[in-house]
Amino acid sequence: MDLVISNISKKFGASHALQDVSAEIKSGEFIAILGPSGCGKTTLLRIIAGFIAPCSGEVLLSGSLLSSPSGGVPIQERNLGMVFQSLALWPHMTVRENIEYPLKSRRNRGMSRKARQEALEGAMTSTGMAQFANRLPGELSGGQRQRVALARAIVERPSLLLMDEPLSALDAELRVNMRREIQDIHRLTGATIVYVTHDQNEALAMADRVMIMRDGRIEQVASPREIYRRPETEFVATFVSKCNLLKGSWDGRNFSIAGVVFEVEPSDLPARRFIERGLFPVRPEDFCMTHGSGCESGGIEGQVANRQYNGRETHYKVRCGSELYTVYVPSGEDVFSLDEWVRLRLKVR
Amino acid sequence: MRILAGAIFLGIALFVFITPMLRLVWMSFRTEAGLGLGNYCKLMAQPRTSRAIVNTVVVAVGATLISVFLGAGSSFLVACTDVRRKRLVEMLTLAPFVIPSYITTLSWSSFLSRRGWVNRSLTVLGLPMLDVFSMGGIILVLGICNAPVVYLNTMHMLRRVPRELEWASLASGRGVWETFFRISLPQVMPALIAGGVLAFLAAIDNFSVPAFLGIPAGIPVLSTYIYENIIGFGPSSFNLAAALSVMLSVIAITGAFLQGRLIKKTSGMESIAEDRSVRVPLGCARGWVEGGAIFFLLTLTIVPLLAMVSSAFLPNYKNLALENITLKNFAFVFTNRGVRQAVVCSLQLASLTVLICLIAGTAIAWLRVRRGSAVIRIVEVSSMLTYAMPGIVLALSMIFHWTMFPGVYGTLRILLIAYVTRYLILQIKGSAAAVTAVNVSLEEAALVYGGGMVRVWVQVILPLIARSALASAFMIFAYSFTELTLSSILASAGARTVGLTVFSLQQAGDTHLSAAMSTVIVFAVLIFYLLSIVLRALGKRPRRKGAGEP
Repeated sequence: MDLVISNISKKFGASHALQDVSAEIKSGEFIAILGPSGCGKTTLLRIIAGFIAPCSGEVLLSGSLLSSPSGGVPIQERNLGMVFQSLALWPHMTVRENIEYPLKSRRNRGMSRKARQEALEGAMTSTGMAQFANRLPGELSGGQRQRVALARAIVERPSLLLMDEPLSALDAELRVNMRREIQDIHRLTGATIVYVTHDQNEALAMADRVMIMRDGRIEQVASPREIYRRPETEFVATFVSKCNLLKGSWDGRNFSIAGVVFEVEPSDLPARRFIERGLFPVRPEDFCMTHGSGCESGGIEGQVANRQYNGRETHYKVRCGSELYTVYVPSGEDVFSLDEWVRLRLKVR
Repeated sequence: MRILAGAIFLGIALFVFITPMLRLVWMSFRTEAGLGLGNYCKLMAQPRTSRAIVNTVVVAVGATLISVFLGAGSSFLVACTDVRRKRLVEMLTLAPFVIPSYITTLSWSSFLSRRGWVNRSLTVLGLPMLDVFSMGGIILVLGICNAPVVYLNTMHMLRRVPRELEWASLASGRGVWETFFRISLPQVMPALIAGGVLAFLAAIDNFSVPAFLGIPAGIPVLSTYIYENIIGFGPSSFNLAAALSVMLSVIAITGAFLQGRLIKKTSGMESIAEDRSVRVPLGCARGWVEGGAIFFLLTLTIVPLLAMVSSAFLPNYKNLALENITLKNFAFVFTNRGVRQAVVCSLQLASLTVLICLIAGTAIAWLRVRRGSAVIRIVEVSSMLTYAMPGIVLALSMIFHWTMFPGVYGTLRILLIAYVTRYLILQIKGSAAAVTAVNVSLEEAALVYGGGMVRVWVQVILPLIARSALASAFMIFAYSFTELTLSSILASAGARTVGLTVFSLQQAGDTHLSAAMSTVIVFAVLIFYLLSIVLRALGKRPRRKGAGEP
């Protein structure tokens, strides 16, 4: 049940929503599509679902054509579950009727009454909604509504589950709790999940692989750890791991910037693209900041421009020449005051 | 000081809006033997009363079904499907909204006249003639006249059904049509029913259609029955008419209340942005559906109008043929003193009504939105009641109430008062929507930066609400210029209106003259609407540009 997306392009009027997007998603994989708003991630999901047709390219499921510019399989004949950003619960139906609705469709005509009942109850108990079966969506809390939407998406045991920012309507705390439930559902059903989000924490926390998109193109597809540790483009480096992009020059393992030379461990060398462009991505927590006074040398000299206390760490903006670098200093370490001269070095790992 | 002002305001409002209705109720209980149910008993004893009631219900229900079919049908085509020429479909559906209902009636009576090509063709084919002067005719014409109400209520709601609700159903394995009927339709059902209730109310309120078609055929409905009683001038005819009016009003006000409740149910959808994407693609049937719908709507609205226009060029008792064509009817319309007086009269009335409604309505709207005191609420609800009441009933209550003042009844003034009483709520609603859209902080900012209340109004409030407020004013002008129901009762010899002139020409049997006059009115109305569209388009540009400037 591999999902293959090949050379998908989509234009809305004159603007390119998607440009030549290709990816392969393995059966049972949880893939998160991550990107800022307007990057085309929702458009891609809607093309996979069949709500809109691509301008060129095609989507294949287990080798057979799903979506193409000339149509493809009608939506109602695709065996997929979907959770929408607005949840899209039908307000005039009870929880039970909402969840039961897919089971009563033509594609489940052959299903026995008993099997249908079991599927319904399975979906309701696994999401904990059995006790609310006769409520209307309007009478439920945000988290409960979310569970109904999940139950409806999994009731047919689809092999492909599409989720379009399903947690964006919830408040911060509930969102973190619901992540666990979505992971449980993934384990329980074994379905392939394509999960669209603009929240990088969500993507990194849940997915097997993350696909980063920008301006209708794929920037990088990799495991969360790899995305974080070894970004391949400037955008991924700055968007996901909030890296500072130091501009200097590379000589083997040595990176020199403003007369200062950093010696980098072979395992910490950035992707080729950065080396070719004389860039060095440094995550805010990988800087080691010291008071700049005194005669000790080494490190980039700068001045504290802004300080924000965040609990576990303090976020500093340090002005070094014309650049502004972000540095996270764990609480409990030295405190720096505004306008103070400081020195930035690389942490030794 | 403030309490005193409030009390005076409340007093005026109650006197203008509420006391006429109370007086009507009181008159309905007054008999020669004192207060009692005598009038009601007397009415119930007349077989004509029960016939009128039954006819009213049959006509209203039948017309509502037609309106719902037409209005919902074309709103579905425009909002959900991929037919082309949606503007045309919409214009054809809304045409009866712009054209006064007595003109639509006249157009149908020319279309289905005994010498018209429809009935001549039917006779040739050996089929029975279609007679528009019948229950069926009244139902059909009323149904066409009120279809826009249903259309306007449902079209925007259909566009507001969130696409994701429909997609969720498609992803659940349901087809496009099943999705429409199971998911989308239930979302717009309250709006559709509310539109149906409005169409029903408009059908029992309507006077011109049953007056033009029912009176010659001897088919009474409540509105025309009340009219006959009033102009009958029998010993207790006013009291009988009052009793009938109370019955009719009870139906109307119950309906209006029901409609208000239904609108509340859909209030959640008001804020959703409209989505114009295609929800139900028609596939290869598109061309047929499109052509069929346009042909059907043309037959219902434009073809009868053309029949009327062509009959305006004919002398009495002549068929349409080149040698019969004459401009005599139009010569009459443009030279007759009575016609000219009526036009002057209606123009005066419409302008004054608009002026008063614009000033009073906008002031009331602002007070309601910004202050929202109990007094203002009462004023608003009272003016809503006079709008919900059938026109013929309002007219009667105006007679009872304003005869106390000499120099009102029997002159233009009573008509002016009646028009303002009836149409004020339209301006209040239009202006209130406009004021609500203006953020209160804009006014506060102007006050903070040293503008007095006068300057705030002139420089901030009026420029921001002008467009929406004027849209309501245009509507009121069009309504009062072509009004018939109120003037049929309240007009006097020296003060006849345009609508009444058409009515009496038709009642006198001068069908071709009334057709000529209606043709002129239709052209005037069309020019007026084009003008208002052009004005609105012109008004748009400079405001956008200036919005960001100090």
